[in-house]
Amino acid sequence: MKYTIDELFQLKPSVALEVNFDAVEFRAIIEKVKQLQQLKEEEFGTHHAGHFSRRRSSHHHGRPKVKHNKPKVTTDSDGWCTFEAKKKGSGDEDEEEGETTPTANVPAVTIAQETLKVKPNNKNISSNRPADARDIVADKPILGFNAFAALESEDEDDEA
Amino acid sequence: MSVEEVTKKFEETVSVDDATATPKTVLSDSAHFDVKHPLNTKWTLWYTKPAVDKSESWSDLLRPVTSFQTVEEFWAIIQNIPEPHELPLKSDYHVFRNDVRPEWEDEANAKGGKWSFQLRGKGADIDELWLRTLLAVIGETIDEDDSQINGVVLSIRKGGNKFALWTKSEDKEPLLRIGGKFKQVLKLTDDGHLEFFPHSSANGRHPQPSITL
Repeated sequence: MKYTIDELFQLKPSVALEVNFDAVEFRAIIEKVKQLQQLKEEEFGTHHAGHFSRRRSSHHHGRPKVKHNKPKVTTDSDGWCTFEAKKKGSGDEDEEEGETTPTANVPAVTIAQETLKVKPNNKNISSNRPADARDIVADKPILGFNAFAALESEDEDDEA
Repeated sequence: MSVEEVTKKFEETVSVDDATATPKTVLSDSAHFDVKHPLNTKWTLWYTKPAVDKSESWSDLLRPVTSFQTVEEFWAIIQNIPEPHELPLKSDYHVFRNDVRPEWEDEANAKGGKWSFQLRGKGADIDELWLRTLLAVIGETIDEDDSQINGVVLSIRKGGNKFALWTKSEDKEPLLRIGGKFKQVLKLTDDGHLEFFPHSSANGRHPQPSITL
């Protein structure tokens, strides 16, 4: 006797029938195995967290942690805080010096017949804004309306 | 073949004491029926439990669950056991004819092999393909000669679930016919390849298929 797949589908009862084995126990065993597997997986993850975390994921944990040294600040008895600059000789300091070299001091380098002007990257040179606020006042062109000056000039015009 | 023809075929094979009384089948009353549609042979469902303890051996893990001889009994089992997608990793379902054990060592399997297919990717419906495979095997339509199939295995694996059709022999001619049908059942396109591995080569480290389809 042969039954095609379609025929067997047509012979499917509409209700779930009883079976001659303990289906509840069978399902329970499978469920228990699944739970044990999950537990093992979690345990494995915890045990090997240190090992696996040596390599940084490129897409799961956001930006990498970059450790910056905190600036050393000392506070005296009056409550004044003093920032202690880095010691000379550190690599960082050398870099800073290089970056802040003014353009005017850059010597022209002559190589064979051609003259090369070394132009530093002044992108990171600190702001060209004057430090002293009084300088701003002195340099600023006065474009505002001065009432007294205007009166004086009108008088001159009238006289003329 | 229509449903009516199946019923007629069934009525011819099942003798009813009272010729005038029409027996209730699943077709006339799908909830309350008296007689069932017989299968060619008895089939046994086996389950391999994944090892959760190192002390568990293969023989501890492989256990027969139940047997069935009719279509209705088959459906009752299917409705009561977890579907393949619900099974834990490293589980196997086996459905084998009569009392054949799903092991290479069994006398019925020793000279045979298996058509194997590994389902990669998550797109395919494993539940549907497993059910289609079972129906083709117990309905005996996958093997026209009724002579080769011993059983069928589904292995739930991380790298891809595996379907395997176990045969009695390595005879190429009937195997090619069965392999062709198996491909249709699994809805494989030209890209999907079935491989036949003789059980005699199963002990090797990297067994090579003797036939690829």
